[in-house]
Amino acid sequence: MSPTEPNVNDYAMRHVFFAIFLVMVSYTAVSQTQLPHIQLSNLDSKTKELPQFLRADISVISFWATWCIPCINELEAIQEVYDEWVEAGFELLAVSTDTQKTVSKVRPMVYGKDWEYEVLFDTNQDLKRILHINAIPYLIVVKNGVIVYQRTGYNPGDEDGLFQKLLELKK
Amino acid sequence: MKKFLGVIFLMFFSQVQSQESWFSGGFYSNMNYYLNDNKTGDFDEEHRFRSNNYLNLDGNWSNFEVALQLEGYAPSALLNYPNVYDQELGISAIYATYNFNSGSITVGNIYEEFGNGLVFRTYEDRDLGINNSLFGGRATYNFNDKLNLKAVYGKQKAGFDLSDGSIFGLDAEWYVSKFNLGFSYVNRFQKMPSTNDFNEYTNAFSGRVNFNSGNFSADLEYAYKSEDALVEFGFVNTEKLFDGNALLLELGYAERGFGINGTFRRLENMNFYSDREMDSNIDNQQWVNYLPSLTKQHDYALSNIYIYQAQTRLSFAPYQKAGEIGSQIDAFYTFKKGSTLGGKYGTKLALNYSVWHGLDADFDSTNKSYTSEFLGFGEKYFSEFALELRKKISKQWMGILSFNDLYYNRQFIEETSGEIDAQVLNAEGIFKFGKGKSLRFVAEHLWSADDTGNWYGGTLEFNPSSKWNFFMTDIYNYENILKKVHYFNVGMSYRRNQTSLRLNYGRQRGGLICVGGVCRVVPEASGFGLSLSTVF
Repeated sequence: MSPTEPNVNDYAMRHVFFAIFLVMVSYTAVSQTQLPHIQLSNLDSKTKELPQFLRADISVISFWATWCIPCINELEAIQEVYDEWVEAGFELLAVSTDTQKTVSKVRPMVYGKDWEYEVLFDTNQDLKRILHINAIPYLIVVKNGVIVYQRTGYNPGDEDGLFQKLLELKK
Repeated sequence: MKKFLGVIFLMFFSQVQSQESWFSGGFYSNMNYYLNDNKTGDFDEEHRFRSNNYLNLDGNWSNFEVALQLEGYAPSALLNYPNVYDQELGISAIYATYNFNSGSITVGNIYEEFGNGLVFRTYEDRDLGINNSLFGGRATYNFNDKLNLKAVYGKQKAGFDLSDGSIFGLDAEWYVSKFNLGFSYVNRFQKMPSTNDFNEYTNAFSGRVNFNSGNFSADLEYAYKSEDALVEFGFVNTEKLFDGNALLLELGYAERGFGINGTFRRLENMNFYSDREMDSNIDNQQWVNYLPSLTKQHDYALSNIYIYQAQTRLSFAPYQKAGEIGSQIDAFYTFKKGSTLGGKYGTKLALNYSVWHGLDADFDSTNKSYTSEFLGFGEKYFSEFALELRKKISKQWMGILSFNDLYYNRQFIEETSGEIDAQVLNAEGIFKFGKGKSLRFVAEHLWSADDTGNWYGGTLEFNPSSKWNFFMTDIYNYENILKKVHYFNVGMSYRRNQTSLRLNYGRQRGGLICVGGVCRVVPEASGFGLSLSTVF
C-alpha cells in the first residue's frame, strides 16, 4: 500500500462510514430510486438510454443470461401468459448479462425460443452493477421512471404472484 | 487520490438531501465456518470462520453520480480467495461521474470494455475475486448518435493496491446504417529493468465491424499486440520479444422459432497484463483484456467438472503452446404447438458444438523462437457436443433433458497429465402445486473411463411458498478407487423482495470454479455457509 492512501483500518474512519451508512439507509427509506440513464443496445444493435426503451406504463426489467436455467424457466413461464400482460398494459424487457463468453448465443436463443420481449445487452454488466444486483435471476418493476418493486431469485410459480403485484401497482 | 475522492464523497452527501436526488446501495455477505471432515480432511488453516463482505453506496444528484464500494474480509477471506484481498475493512472502489448532454467524465474506479474485449475489459466478479477496474479517469463523448468516443487512463486495481503498470486507452465507434465500425487502442507502460534497450511500452490495436440486417448478423474483430517480453515461470525475459494477435468472427441467422450462430476465434500470444510479472497468475489478477473460453456454459453440477479454459499464452516449457484456434456453433429451434413433436405446449431444442485446438506451430526451444500458420490446427484441447430438450408437459409439469459428450485434454489445458472422454446426462423436472408451491428435482449421471470414473448426482428442491426454499444436492464419484466422496449440500433460503438469506451445510468439491469462462481453483472443504444479499 502506498503512503498516500488512507489507513481505512483506522477506528475513527470505520465509525464515520458506519454513520454515513445509517444516514443513507434511513434516507433511502423515503427516497425513490430512479431508473439509471445508462446506454444499452438491443438485438438490432440500436443503442439508446434505458428509459427510452420503455413503452408501457408499467415495465418489468428482468436480468438473465443464456446459461442461467432458473432465468430461462422464468422467461419461458412469462412468455406462456405474455398476451395477458400486453392486454393489461404491461411489458417485459429482458436484459442479458451475458459476457463475451456467451453473448453470441443471445440472438439465436431469443429468436429460437420465439420470445416477444425487447432484449437488451448489458455485456459489461454496467446496469447490473449500478443496481447492485448480486445474482440473477433478478427483476425490477418500473412505473413512471421510478423503481417501485424489486425481486431476487425465481421459484416456479412466482410469475403468478408477479402478475398480481403488477395489477396492484396499476391501481 | 482515494482520500481526496473520499472527501468529495462526504461533501456531496451533506448536500444531496435538498435536491432532486436519491441514494441507493447494496450489501452482500458470504460467510463460512469450516469444519474437520474425515473425507475432505482436517481444516488446518488459520480462522475457521471467514467472510467476504461488500457494501455499496451510491448517490445521484442531478447530473452527478458518486459511488463507493467498501469491502471487508473478516477475519480473513474465504478459503483460497486471491490473497490480495487482505483487509478487514477497506475502500475497494470509489468514483464520481459528471454526465452532460453528449458525454461524461468519470474520476475514480472505471469499468469499461472496448469491442469484444480482445484488447481491453475491466470488470468485477466476486465469485472469482476479480476486480481489475482502472483507477484513474475516463471521458466519453457522443456526436449526434453517429460517433462515440471514449478515453481512459489509470492503473488497474490489484486487491486494495494498484498495479505497477499503467494503461491508456482510446475507443471510437461509428454507426453507419446497418454497420457499426470500431477502433481501439490500448497502451500499457511498466518500468522494467533490462540490459538492452527494451521498449517498456506495449501497444494493442483492434478494428471491428458489426453488421445487423433483418435475419442476418455478422461480427468481425482483429487485434494486434506489439512485441513484448516473453514471460516464463514469472521471469520476464526482455531478450526474447514476441508480438500477438487475435481474430474473432461470428455469423448468425435468426427467424421466429429458429436461430443459429457460428463463432471462429484464433488467438496467438494474447496474454496481456498490467504487470508483466503477473503473467498466468492463478488468481486471474490484472488482466488487461478478456479472453474467455468460447464453449457452452453449464448450470448443472456434473456438467461443470471438465471445463475448458482458453489457451491464450505463448510458452516453450513445460509444453510448447502458442495459442488456440477453434469454433463453436449454437442452434435453437422450437417445435410449434400442435405439431407432432411440439405437442400441446411446444418443444424447445438447443444444440451446441465446440472444438478447440492448440495453434499449430514449429518451435525451436533452444533459441526460443517459433513460426505459426494462420489456419494451423494443432493438438486437440477440447470438444463438446451438447443437446438440450425443454418441454412443458402440462399446466403443472415442465421437464428438461440435456446430454453432453466431451473430450478434455487435461495434459495441455491444466499442464498436468491425462485425457478425459466423458458423457453427461441431466434430467430436470418441475412440478407446480399452485399458489407459489413447487417441487424441482434434477437427476444427473456422468460416464467416463478416465480420471475418477463415473459420477451420479441429484438435486431436490421444495418451495412451500414463493419466499421459502429447502434444498438437498449431492454428487458422488462412486467409481473412484482412491476416495469415494458424497459432495452433498443441504440448506434453505428465504427471499423477500430484493433481500435473500441462504444457509447451507455441506461439502465443496475441490477443483475449478468457473464463471463466464474464467476459472479459479478451490480446495475441498466442509462446513456451514451463510449468505445475505440486499439492495436498498
